[in-house]
Amino acid sequence: MRHLLVLPFLLLATPVAAQSTTAAELLAKYTAEAGTEASAERGQALFLASHSGGKSDTPSCTTCHGTDPRAMGQARTGKPIAPLAPAVNPERFTDLKFVEKWFGRNCTSVLGRACTAAEKADLVAWLSSL
Amino acid sequence: MTDAPTTDTPPHAGQVLVWDIWVRLFHWSLVACVSIACVTGFLLDASWITLHIASGTLAVALVLARIIWGFLGPTHARFADFRPAPSRILSHVRAQAPARHLGHNPAGGLMMLGLMAAVLLLGLSGLAGLGGALRTGPLRALPYGLGEIALEVHETLALLLLAMILAHIAAAILESHRSRENLVRAMVTGSKQGRPGDHASRPAEAHPRLALLLIAMLAGATVASLPQDDPTPARAPVSELDPTFAEECTACHLAYHPSLLSAAEWHVILGGLTDHYGEDASLDAETTARITNWVLAHDASTVQSRPARLFAGRLDTPTGSMTETGAWKDLHEEVAEAHFLRAPIYSKANCAACHADAETGWFSPFHIRIPRETPK
Ligand code: HEC
Ligand code: HEC
Ligand code: HEC
Repeated sequence: MRHLLVLPFLLLATPVAAQSTTAAELLAKYTAEAGTEASAERGQALFLASHSGGKSDTPSCTTCHGTDPRAMGQARTGKPIAPLAPAVNPERFTDLKFVEKWFGRNCTSVLGRACTAAEKADLVAWLSSL
Repeated sequence: MTDAPTTDTPPHAGQVLVWDIWVRLFHWSLVACVSIACVTGFLLDASWITLHIASGTLAVALVLARIIWGFLGPTHARFADFRPAPSRILSHVRAQAPARHLGHNPAGGLMMLGLMAAVLLLGLSGLAGLGGALRTGPLRALPYGLGEIALEVHETLALLLLAMILAHIAAAILESHRSRENLVRAMVTGSKQGRPGDHASRPAEAHPRLALLLIAMLAGATVASLPQDDPTPARAPVSELDPTFAEECTACHLAYHPSLLSAAEWHVILGGLTDHYGEDASLDAETTARITNWVLAHDASTVQSRPARLFAGRLDTPTGSMTETGAWKDLHEEVAEAHFLRAPIYSKANCAACHADAETGWFSPFHIRIPRETPK
């Protein structure tokens, strides 16, 4: 367990510019930050649920990404959004800064607050299990 | 074609050839062109502009050719035959039984010249509007304001032309009754019945070869004088998007061109990205500053384009939508509300679904196409 706790510090020490990552690396990073095991079921539930703490136009992740992350989603402006599941869209979870930017925005929009490391770990676990 | 003598050869006994084949072709082609231009201009939306311009251009070309024929054609084609001097018009209208004119009577002659002048002025004002307001065509160097005025003039002239056409049709019917001959049929067959006491016309000889040569030269000179290259007009919307802007501001929607909004509006929008039209679109301070600088350098005040003039500085609230401005609603009132919600459009703000050139900031009527509905 002790070695897991140093992992986030190791990751933080890596230069920010080197952003390339993988779903597995992200999962490890968020799990380490959270200090608990990730759960794909919890991730799925969070993703599909309707929330009330965020902005009124975006009650759920599915508002834009749809209920099937292997399919195309759609922004409220009509613009298509490529699938979130890395299995069908290998671009997903390959850029740490990008992932952090969108977790940041989307969690505030939907939940009205930032997602915890545990929630991010759950979401990555579910999305990369599809 | 030989220079035919213009002693009007009667097709039937007592019939006189009044309208030569070229005059008749001109008349009915002009009817077709003006009808198409009216329908595409008054009834259909701006996406029909190509057909509108083509029919209008052809109408102008027809009138120019007719003017040449008015000097070189046979007797009744000549302007000299129906010279609408005020005194002649008055005496024709006032006379109880005016001498019958085989060709145009003086009042009809005035109408002819008026109709032709209206078509020419419509062509000119259309070209000026296209140049000034839409920044294309041979007159694209004209200032925007002049282009807008030209378009107003164009519309007024078009209404005037419509009124003149109605008067022309009414007069043709009235005159047909008065002279007991079908003037409309005469414009199809070309011949009328010669009657004793007809107003005598001075016979003139047609010069079809010379006329054709002049028309060909005019057409050639027009084509040759059109600008060959198509340089970007001055104060055009910036054509290349800043890479940071293109990357950060196109994830959720098309790239709204910086020239669509005023500096004040951009300041508010970019200063409030954490609550951006109901979503969090926040960026780090450095990226926001970079985008803000680029957008402000290319805002509406730096360009001359129709959308910049119509939408910029018009948002009801600084964070409102262009789609709520009066100008936007006016332009789109013919598009059914339901259209915007169906696939693949989904939203009024999805301009690029119908405007292929939306991301260039031009929104040219040449690039409008409402997509067919697709299954959601
Ligand atoms: C308002 C629309 C919207 C909502 C709601 C939304 N997203 Fe997104 N999301 C986007 C857009 C747009 C992108 C970036 C576009 C793209 O990458 O195709 C994105 C990107 C992402 C990414 C980045 C993946 C990568 O690395 O490429 C993740 C992860 C993500 N969203 C998860 C979520 C989760 C989890 C929720 C619910 C809490 C959510 N989104 C809610 C619109 C939305
Ligand atoms: C997280 C998604 C998202 C991102 C990222 C985003 N926008 Fe938007 N933007 C929206 C939504 C949603 C609307 C509202 C569209 C509507 O009216 O339906 C909008 C509307 C706009 C409008 C107003 C359009 C109108 O209808 O008049 C402008 C301008 C705009 N955005 C500029 C930007 C700029 C500049 C950026 C980059 C800094 C940006 N947006 C990034 C989601 C986003
Ligand atoms: C459903 C399709 C559709 C959408 C979406 C749409 N437009 Fe249009 N737009 C049209 C049509 C059709 C016309 C022509 C209307 C007419 O002439 O009656 C038009 C005309 C215009 C014109 C005038 C063009 C000209 O010079 O005649 C402008 C400018 C314009 N739209 C801007 C916008 C902007 C900005 C948006 C997005 C905020 C937008 N439109 C969204 C269909 C659309």
